[in-house]
Amino acid sequence: MKRTIVPFGPQHPVLAEPLVLDLVLEDEKVIDAIPTIGYIHRGLEAMVDRVEYTEMGFVVERICGICSFMHGMGYCLALESIMSVEVPDRARWLRIIWAEISRIQSHLLWLGLGADAFGFENLFMHCWRMREEILDIFEKTTGGRIIHSVNRIGGVKRDISDSELIAIVARLDGLGKAFEATARVFANDPSIRHRMSGVGVLSMADARAVDAVGPMARASGVRMDTRLAGQNLYDQIEFEPVLETAGDCLARVVVRMREVRQSIDLIHQMVDKMPKGEGLPLENKPRGNPSGETFTRLEQPRGEVVYYVKANGTKYLERFRARTPTFANIPAMIKLVKGCDLADVPNIILTIDPCISCTER
Amino acid sequence: MSNPFRLPMAPRAIRNLFSKPATRRYPYEIRPRFDGARGTIKFDVDTCNYCTLCAKRCPAAAITVSREDRTWAIEHLTCIGCNVCVEVCAKKSLAMSTEAKHVHTHAEVGPQGQRPGHEEWHGADPAIAAAAAKAAAELSIDAPSS
Ligand code: SF4
Ligand code: SF4
Repeated sequence: MKRTIVPFGPQHPVLAEPLVLDLVLEDEKVIDAIPTIGYIHRGLEAMVDRVEYTEMGFVVERICGICSFMHGMGYCLALESIMSVEVPDRARWLRIIWAEISRIQSHLLWLGLGADAFGFENLFMHCWRMREEILDIFEKTTGGRIIHSVNRIGGVKRDISDSELIAIVARLDGLGKAFEATARVFANDPSIRHRMSGVGVLSMADARAVDAVGPMARASGVRMDTRLAGQNLYDQIEFEPVLETAGDCLARVVVRMREVRQSIDLIHQMVDKMPKGEGLPLENKPRGNPSGETFTRLEQPRGEVVYYVKANGTKYLERFRARTPTFANIPAMIKLVKGCDLADVPNIILTIDPCISCTER
Repeated sequence: MSNPFRLPMAPRAIRNLFSKPATRRYPYEIRPRFDGARGTIKFDVDTCNYCTLCAKRCPAAAITVSREDRTWAIEHLTCIGCNVCVEVCAKKSLAMSTEAKHVHTHAEVGPQGQRPGHEEWHGADPAIAAAAAKAAAELSIDAPSS
């Protein structure tokens, strides 16, 4: 049969970001998909030889506008491990509280975009209305809605007072209730089921074979989550990753919905466990220049991110690299797109929650 | 398969009929910013001693300070609002206000390449400043006797 190549992106209505795929079609079936990345490569990692390591954190934060908190946190964790800086307890708890809040933010954003992609604009608005509340919490506590700039090597710059923390937890509870109504729509609406259920199935074996990460892997039943390693105080709270077994688009939606609820619950536990009081230390300033190399892993909303830092004793790092979750999920995406209908391609691509600006840095 | 005649959005739709709109009429109604939100840098020309530390630490290189000329300048459009300069200034001459950054139109750039967002202060020459202080001191000494 005659083959046709349809370019998908870099400008495409479903995705604001410039993902480039060449879809090889036979009739309506996708036979092959050839991704091209590098369309918005900004060379952020190469900036280490011009930007001092203390200032590089602000650059790393700008890798992505959705996981900006976690990127900043990951960079600081890496540098702290090289420089053996002891981070004060309260600062460590504050970091993971913010991290979980940003996970809720990211998932709400994605659920909205997903709804928009399958043509449910109303639902998109509802998700983003809830996300707005999270952004308000960020603006109140960190000073920025998207770029937070609170992480410094050795701690955090701002404290959240205990009363404020309680208010945040109450607000998140309210948000959780409002979210239930929206979650019901995602779970029960016939049009959503029709578009998502049974589409783009990634089996558990395939998920392992292509090294899927994050919600993508968990929706296929792979129990994989960097938080399980117990770093960053996750060993002190009760945590069990959300798993679904269906592996289809709907399962990926459900995993993210359940993770929103789970994150609210984790924040409850964190606020209970963290040391209370005003004026506790938040920052230990590092001394000297870093020397050595390290890997740091973190569970971002989209999956596992890995930072590699190599320092040579000067104020400029020798090498910095971030392996972002979308990069790891691209093979899985290609696998799913092959063999599906052209009309399902946008849905499948969106359910991996692609972040191209992360991928190409 | 769930029942296609169930309308999961119906309760929401009915509630929306009777509730306030979720959005504001933006240019007419602006949400005040929260305390501690990072907005624009404010500079106090009277306390600064032109140590240049803020300029050295600014990750965006938005600040230029000259000790000789006693000038302090900032490019507000380059500033990324990271608050580092405020943290390092020993003289507390810098403050982060919650006021949102001013929006500049393309027309403001102009054919001559004006720099929108550029703000500059000139401190008094130390000699002049010292003379002025001395004069003020003399005045206040003289005041009771006259
Ligand atoms: S603003 Fe502060 S840090 Fe900057 S030159 Fe003046 S005194 Fe120094
Ligand atoms: S807030 Fe940050 S970017 Fe802006 S002038 Fe101060 S140090 Fe520079």
